[in-house]
Amino acid sequence: MSCWHFSLRRKLLPYIEGEIHEKDLKRLERHLLDCGLCRDLLLRLRAGHQMAQKLAHQVPGGDYPPEIEAMMAAAGEGTPRPRMRVQAWHDWVERFATPGVLGVLTAVLVAQLALLVASNRDVLFGQKSAATIKTSDLDLNDFHVLDIADLKLNTEPHIATEGYVTDVHTDKEEGTVAFKLVESQSAPGPFVVCEIMSPIKMAAPRDGSYVRVYGVSRYDAQTDRKWYEVNPVLDIAVLKH
Amino acid sequence: MIQRPELANNKCAVDREQERHLVFAVQRGDPEAFRELYDAYRERIYNLVTYSIGDPLQTQDVLQTIFLKVFRGLRGFRFQSSLSTWIYRIAHNECQNYHRAWRAPHVPLEAILGSHHEIDTRPVSHEQHARQERDVILQQALMQLPFKMREVVVLKYVEGLSYDEIGRVLGCAPGTVASRLNRALTELEERLRPFKRLL
Ligand SMILES: [Zn+2]
Repeated sequence: MSCWHFSLRRKLLPYIEGEIHEKDLKRLERHLLDCGLCRDLLLRLRAGHQMAQKLAHQVPGGDYPPEIEAMMAAAGEGTPRPRMRVQAWHDWVERFATPGVLGVLTAVLVAQLALLVASNRDVLFGQKSAATIKTSDLDLNDFHVLDIADLKLNTEPHIATEGYVTDVHTDKEEGTVAFKLVESQSAPGPFVVCEIMSPIKMAAPRDGSYVRVYGVSRYDAQTDRKWYEVNPVLDIAVLKH
Repeated sequence: MIQRPELANNKCAVDREQERHLVFAVQRGDPEAFRELYDAYRERIYNLVTYSIGDPLQTQDVLQTIFLKVFRGLRGFRFQSSLSTWIYRIAHNECQNYHRAWRAPHVPLEAILGSHHEIDTRPVSHEQHARQERDVILQQALMQLPFKMREVVVLKYVEGLSYDEIGRVLGCAPGTVASRLNRALTELEERLRPFKRLL
C-alpha cells in the first residue's frame, strides 16, 4: 500500500495547526477518509508536533565573548579589529567547566588559546601591540609529531607534521586558505590538506617552502574527498624557504 | 535557566523601523548600536547554534564567528532581505560549515544541560525535576536527528519562524520545508514514543 499525494501530505501539519486553506481542507479531509497511510501519518505528526512544542528555549550566559567585546569597542575607532582579552576569554571558557566536559576542556583550551594567538598575530608582533600574551603560551610540545604517511594511524587530536607546501588556495568567500602538504615534491605520495580557518589571520606559507604545521587532526570522509586534514591550522613554522 | 519559547521570543523582538535605525547606526560605527543588535539576536542565534552543534565550547566558537561575520557584513547590508533572515542565514551557513569541516566527536547534550543544573544547587520541587527530566529527554531525542532535520525543527518550534521564513533562511522552497518537517516530526515521535508518559 502506498500514497502518492505528496502535496496533500505537506498540508497535514498546517491542518494540525489550523492554518490550512479552505480549498485544501476539503480535499485533505476527503483524502483522509480513504487513505489509511495518511491517517497514520496524521496521528504521528500530531504527536511529534506536540512534543516539539515543548522543546525548551536555552538562555545563554550573560557575558560578552571577548572577540565580540573587542569588535564593539573597536567599532567607534574605525575598522573593527579583534583584540586580545585573554582573561575574559579564560573566564568565559571556565563557566563551562563541569565535570562532564573538563577533560575535553583542557585540550580545547590549548587550541582556543592557540587560535587567539594566531588570530592576533599581527597585533601581537605589530607596533600597536597591547597584549601581554607570548608565543610561549602555546605549548608546541603538546602537539603529537608524526609523518604525513602515519596520519592514518593517528588518534591524537593535536598534531604537528612536516612537508613541502603545494597548491595554496584562497577561498575569498569563506575567508579560508587551504594548502597541501606533501613528503616529496618530485614523486607522488601521501599528502595532508591543511586549512587556515576564518577568522584566523595567518599568512599562508609560500608554495614550495618546507614547513611544520601545528593543528587539529581530522579526516574528511566526504565521497569526493576522503583525505586527512589539519584543520584548523594553529601555527606554522617555516623550516626552509 | 530554561524558558518557554514564547516568553523569550517576545523579549528580543525588534520591530522593522527600529531595526533600520540600528543598522544605520552600526554602519556609522556606533558601538552602542553593535551592542543593541547583539543583545537582540544573540539569544535566538544561540538557540539555533546550540541545537545544531551540541558541544558547548564549539557552540561559543561558532556563535562568535557568526557575529563577527554579521558585524563585518552589516557595513554592506542594503535591506534586500529582512535583517533577521539575513542573520539566520549566516548562522545556518556557519552551522553547516561546522558540520562539513569538523567531524569532532559528538558531545551529548547533557553536558550543556548539566552545566546549568549543577550551578543551580537549590532544592527543586518534584514538578521542576519532572520538567528538567522532560527537557533532557526531548532535547536528546532531537539531537539524535540528522542536522538538517534538527535545524528545521528548531527554526519552527524554538525560533517560531514561518515556513516561508525558514525557506528563505535555508534557501529552499516552503514545500521542501514542509516535507522535511514531516520527516523530522515523525522521526522525533518514533524516538520519543517510549517516553510518551513522561512528556
Ligand atoms: Zn494518502
